[in-house]
Amino acid sequence: MKNEPVEAVPMRPKDYESGVHPVWCAGCGNYGVLSGLYRALAELNVDPTNLVNVSGIGCSSRLPYFLKAYKMHTLHGRAGPVATGVQLARPDLKVLVTGGDGDGFSIGGGHMPHLARTNVNLTYVLMDNHIYGLTKGQSSPTSRRIMKAYTTPYGGIEEPMRPLLYMLTYGATYVAQAYSGNAKMCAELIKGGLEHKGFAYIHILSPCITFNKIDTADYFKDIIKDIPEKHDVTDLHKAMHLIYKFKDKEPVGLLYKSHRPTLDTIMADLVTQAGGSKDYDIRKIIDQARP
Amino acid sequence: MANNNLIIRIAGDGGEGIISTGDFIAAACARSGLEVYTFKTFPAEVRGGYAMYQVRTGNAALHNPGNTFDIFCALNSEAFEINRDRLTPGTAVVYDDTFSPEIPEGVHAYPIPMTVTSKQLGLKKAKNMAALGALSHLFDIPAKALKKVLADTFASKGEDVVQANLAAFEKGAEQAEDLRKTDTWKLPKASKSKKAKDVIMLSGNQAIGLGALIAGLDFYSAYPITPASEIAKYLAVNLPKMGGTLIQAEDEIASISQVVGASFAGKKAMTATSGPGLSLMSEMLGFAFMSEAPVVVVNVQRGGPSTGLPTKHEQSDLFAAVYGSHGDAARIVLSVENVADCVSMTVDALNLAETYACPVILLSESSLAFSSQTIPTPDPDHIKVVERKRWDGEGEYHRYAMTEDFISPMADPGTPCALHIATGLEHNADGTPNYAAATHEAMTAKRFDKLKALPDAYMPVEIDAARGAEKDEKADVGIIAWGSSIGVVREAITALRADGIKVKGFYPKLIWPMQVAQFEAFAKTCRTVLVVEINHQGQLAHLIRAASTLNPVSHAVCGGLPFTPAQIGAKVRELL
Repeated sequence: MKNEPVEAVPMRPKDYESGVHPVWCAGCGNYGVLSGLYRALAELNVDPTNLVNVSGIGCSSRLPYFLKAYKMHTLHGRAGPVATGVQLARPDLKVLVTGGDGDGFSIGGGHMPHLARTNVNLTYVLMDNHIYGLTKGQSSPTSRRIMKAYTTPYGGIEEPMRPLLYMLTYGATYVAQAYSGNAKMCAELIKGGLEHKGFAYIHILSPCITFNKIDTADYFKDIIKDIPEKHDVTDLHKAMHLIYKFKDKEPVGLLYKSHRPTLDTIMADLVTQAGGSKDYDIRKIIDQARP
Repeated sequence: MANNNLIIRIAGDGGEGIISTGDFIAAACARSGLEVYTFKTFPAEVRGGYAMYQVRTGNAALHNPGNTFDIFCALNSEAFEINRDRLTPGTAVVYDDTFSPEIPEGVHAYPIPMTVTSKQLGLKKAKNMAALGALSHLFDIPAKALKKVLADTFASKGEDVVQANLAAFEKGAEQAEDLRKTDTWKLPKASKSKKAKDVIMLSGNQAIGLGALIAGLDFYSAYPITPASEIAKYLAVNLPKMGGTLIQAEDEIASISQVVGASFAGKKAMTATSGPGLSLMSEMLGFAFMSEAPVVVVNVQRGGPSTGLPTKHEQSDLFAAVYGSHGDAARIVLSVENVADCVSMTVDALNLAETYACPVILLSESSLAFSSQTIPTPDPDHIKVVERKRWDGEGEYHRYAMTEDFISPMADPGTPCALHIATGLEHNADGTPNYAAATHEAMTAKRFDKLKALPDAYMPVEIDAARGAEKDEKADVGIIAWGSSIGVVREAITALRADGIKVKGFYPKLIWPMQVAQFEAFAKTCRTVLVVEINHQGQLAHLIRAASTLNPVSHAVCGGLPFTPAQIGAKVRELL
């Protein structure tokens, strides 16, 4: 329907449902994440027309189909750079990346550092179930070593990586972790990420009920521990130290938040510096090639 | 002097200013109203090693850098020895007198104290300036134009530097005066009618950048790779001036991914790479085809496969360009002949991407990347720039709606009521994943059928027929060439015709989808069709056999060097 004048109606979480019923198994942690996402968007009254949700491949990468927005369901591991292209081309849009642990840190691992260090202004919600669900149960870079899985029938052979430490080291300016069973906290942290100007990373522990028999809802509920209120989120060392102090417990809440120029603002400054504009006379550039 | 043009080659160690000296000669010739076509090779290693710059210049249009030189300038003995075989009777050589090479018979030799001059003037590296002065005096390269180019170039380094280099130049000219000239080579005078010609001179890579700007490029993301990096260098300076965005991504996969994202966001986006990078991009190009995204990839071909020969000439990425993705995926493939094409066909590439909402690959070559040529100054007001078909807002919006021309209207994010998903999964008209056989057949057909209009819509293939002859005049041999090989074939054909041989040329620039009807029509007028290309597998010949009824003779040579007109001529004579 054409550009009919739209009354400014406050959005409710349901208004972000696309109408497509999620394909996830009943009991999948991702339902909690989705619910938190709908709430966060509603609280910020984000206009779906100006929202772009990019995903890669995996169960959690199916999320865009369930969201009312402009969406891209792209390739395994490549959501980050695709979203970067969207954001740089249209800094006026709100850009959201959703995906899983394999998509983000295995095949996508090479892109993560650059999203964070260049401070692309987008929100990355990563659903970590410590497994590859869509392809039926292979271990992922965050799987615990003790897990027996599809290609590790004799038991795990690798130590898991530490996503939060990675993202802090890579230079992300907003780092948070939640458990999918706490939709309220998910909503709060995702909202903070969406509001944050810069690269916001929200890591959500989200159990796979079908293929991961050890990292269950009970397991996660047992190991998560709230980040204390007095934690100084502006201090990078304190954030890293907290993770070490928590030992085997997973901190949930906001870990770190800081500000530095985003990639698109630096690009805009560059244009100014070059004396550029949309109306620049291209003949001046052509003339430079006169012998 | 063949065809009223002169070929000068200067060579020496990379650190001795070979490239800048060649640039000065090229610029002076162009400023004097002559056509210029250059060819250069860089040292293989980052520090030092043999470098060469060849300038071909004259009044008539030039199509290739030339067989071999008329005049050679050697700044060191290594350069002399590397080029010894080309010093045939009648050629002239100017060389630094610190070494005394054995001069081949019939070669006119001019020793110049380049090193001595440089030292006397207290300069560390002015050998090339002395050489330039000598060349200028001996062969009528306009001294005034040269000195102006020198002064302009060194101005930023301070007046002292300018004067010192001019002094070395003058000394070189003086020393040449003392030598007796024993040959007739000299620079042709620009024909008067061309004196006020409006030309620019730039390299193939720069020209691609310029073409992109003319076509309204908004977003460029690339990863450095020989020999494509200079496209990024040119755009890094100039794209921000036009208000656009350029970023160096972490790898080629990130580059093409960012380009796809920017395209989805409604912007004209492009990347450039070479063979190894193109390989990395295959998956994302398949996504661009499946999700019907306008994207452009410039591929500057180099010696392959794998890391191959990074600085050498080859035309071996055709299969990768045409077929490089899994599944039934396609792309539009264009191939440039020269610097003029680098400008106009980059515009075509961006326009075609917008029109057909699919990936477009523009093939160039390493020798062209660094070749500077004079071309008529482009007039941006008279160059057509195309925007993608956008939704008019009527009715319900479906991103992959079936239409008469199979091209679905697009909608930029931010457009009300046009929310949709771009997906790599097989899908319905509205983007919902759908794996039913009928859906897959229909959507695959749509993605391929939308390209069917292109072979007739694009400019017709050029037929190189004898002057005054009909296009369908019969020939004994019809030569099909692509890329820079076209320029060599043009010259070969001229020579063959002069010997009374009935030969025609056929120069496709839209390689895929192939303009099959035109290939068939051309073949009907030739007794034998010969396809010439620099790659081992005869890649274009293979595509022609697959797509048409032609059964051409394939002359496919890989070796890192372009064809010479003589080689083409010899092959044609074999087929008579």
